[in-house]
Amino acid sequence: MGPEQNIILEGRGVSRYFGALAALSGIDFSLYEGEILGLIGPNGSGKTTLFNVIVGVCRPSEGKVFFEGRDISGMSPHRICQMGIAKTSQIVQPFTRMTVAENVLVGAMYGGGLPQKEAWEKTREILAFVNLDKVMNTPSGKISIPERRRLELARALATSAKVILLDENMAGLNPNEIEEALDLLRAIRERGVTLMVVEHIMRAVMGISDRMIVFNYGEKIAEGTPREVAENPSVIRAYLGDKYA
Amino acid sequence: MIQTPPGRAFTLPRKAVLLAAAVFVTLILVPAFCHQGYALRLMGMIFMGIALASCWNIMSGYTGYIDFGPAAYFGIGAYATALLMVRGGVPFFLSIVLGGVVAVAFAVPVGLPTLRLRGAYFAIATFAFAEATRQAVLEWDRVLGVNFFQGSHGITLPIGPTHQFFYYTFLVIMTVLFVITYLVERSRMGYALKAIHEAEDAAELIGVNTLKIKIYAYAISAFFTAVIGGVDAYWLTYITPNDVFSVHITIKMVIMCLLGGMGTLLGPVVGASFLTLISEPLWARFPYDYLIIIGVIIVLVIVAMPKGIVGTLLEWKVDSRGT
Repeated sequence: MGPEQNIILEGRGVSRYFGALAALSGIDFSLYEGEILGLIGPNGSGKTTLFNVIVGVCRPSEGKVFFEGRDISGMSPHRICQMGIAKTSQIVQPFTRMTVAENVLVGAMYGGGLPQKEAWEKTREILAFVNLDKVMNTPSGKISIPERRRLELARALATSAKVILLDENMAGLNPNEIEEALDLLRAIRERGVTLMVVEHIMRAVMGISDRMIVFNYGEKIAEGTPREVAENPSVIRAYLGDKYA
Repeated sequence: MIQTPPGRAFTLPRKAVLLAAAVFVTLILVPAFCHQGYALRLMGMIFMGIALASCWNIMSGYTGYIDFGPAAYFGIGAYATALLMVRGGVPFFLSIVLGGVVAVAFAVPVGLPTLRLRGAYFAIATFAFAEATRQAVLEWDRVLGVNFFQGSHGITLPIGPTHQFFYYTFLVIMTVLFVITYLVERSRMGYALKAIHEAEDAAELIGVNTLKIKIYAYAISAFFTAVIGGVDAYWLTYITPNDVFSVHITIKMVIMCLLGGMGTLLGPVVGASFLTLISEPLWARFPYDYLIIIGVIIVLVIVAMPKGIVGTLLEWKVDSRGT
């Protein structure tokens, strides 16, 4: 990642308080076009809150978020999605009574702003890409966990997002399924989508990220390549305690 | 397994379209052969029930937001029509359409704050709104010292035409609502409404302006509810706030839709026909106890078919396909 690369998403001094609790305090971050940025940190360290602030689910208490140079802080989630940022949720939320294809269609029509006919074409293409074309007419409540995870991705892709935020998209997958999911993420990057990944499975996130940011108690405690981060004393302290640092 | 091409998955088969057309033509011809006033009146009431249940279905059936105040729009339509005809000498058909417009003028500002509420809170807010409008119309003249709504004295409309006229008027409104529901179901908007029902936050995250879509559905529902209220006012020729803003109108709309199946095209048709057709003979036979009997029947149907008659049948069909 050279400095000549374009910053596509940027946060400056982003804080979010819930009452007296600082879920995020003064976070600066930059996301470069085309990279995969991993976010790690213990439970409750602010990763999901940062995602929610970026996509507009909650407003930053302080600070601003810029997407392609435009201030997007405080915009509503649908507007931010239409601009080009999509997020997959930790807890999958398929539209259970709609078919798999219809789920993706909604993303293509609304997030992607396509007319219905073009949206169906896009849906077919995306479903084939994430390998869900065989279950496209199945109600989305009746597909397996890995398929649901891929459906979340497919919906996000259908919005033609330039940036996709993945919040623990591999939770509940077995090692083989994780390998497949990682291959899929690499393929998504090949499509020109920039990814920001929150993941607890360390091997997975280390293996795929170009750069990583480590959070603890709402603060950024480290940033760098996976190797740099893994050797950083404050990261080790946050995860394993003072004894190991 | 036969794969339905996407986008056509729920298109009505040709046979169904032909059947619907045949039913419509038959209904147009009925008054030519049937001169029984009672039969036409009963049919008219069924059409009105179907139309009202369809209004509620478009909003609450598809989004899952339980609107417990449609009586407000029924009353607004009834009063707008009555006042326009009596005070303004405006022709009937123009009056009911204007009544619908007035209802939309209320629905948008009411919907903007209330449609941000979830679950029971939306139901409570809309119920409060309906009760408030009833009280406002009831007390308006006394409080302001004017002679406009005429409070509990009510308003008498010009003597209306025959049952046949109302039969056709409600037939047209019912058909229009049926076609609108059919079109909404397979439109962009229909997908968004269903997505809101299933997972509203997820819908918002993939680009659906959920508040806007809900307001559209709420306004469409309010418009037609008011139009129906206007027609009913002319049919009854005498309206009071307690009649046309009555919570019973709301309850009837909810029950008809629930019985038939929320969020289905045929649910309102089946629910309203079923409820009206069992009410009439029971009312004639057991004038004092019929409500108890109807209550028991409603409970039994809902216990046996929790998704409504049409909703449950559709579910059985899907399950038997083994998908």
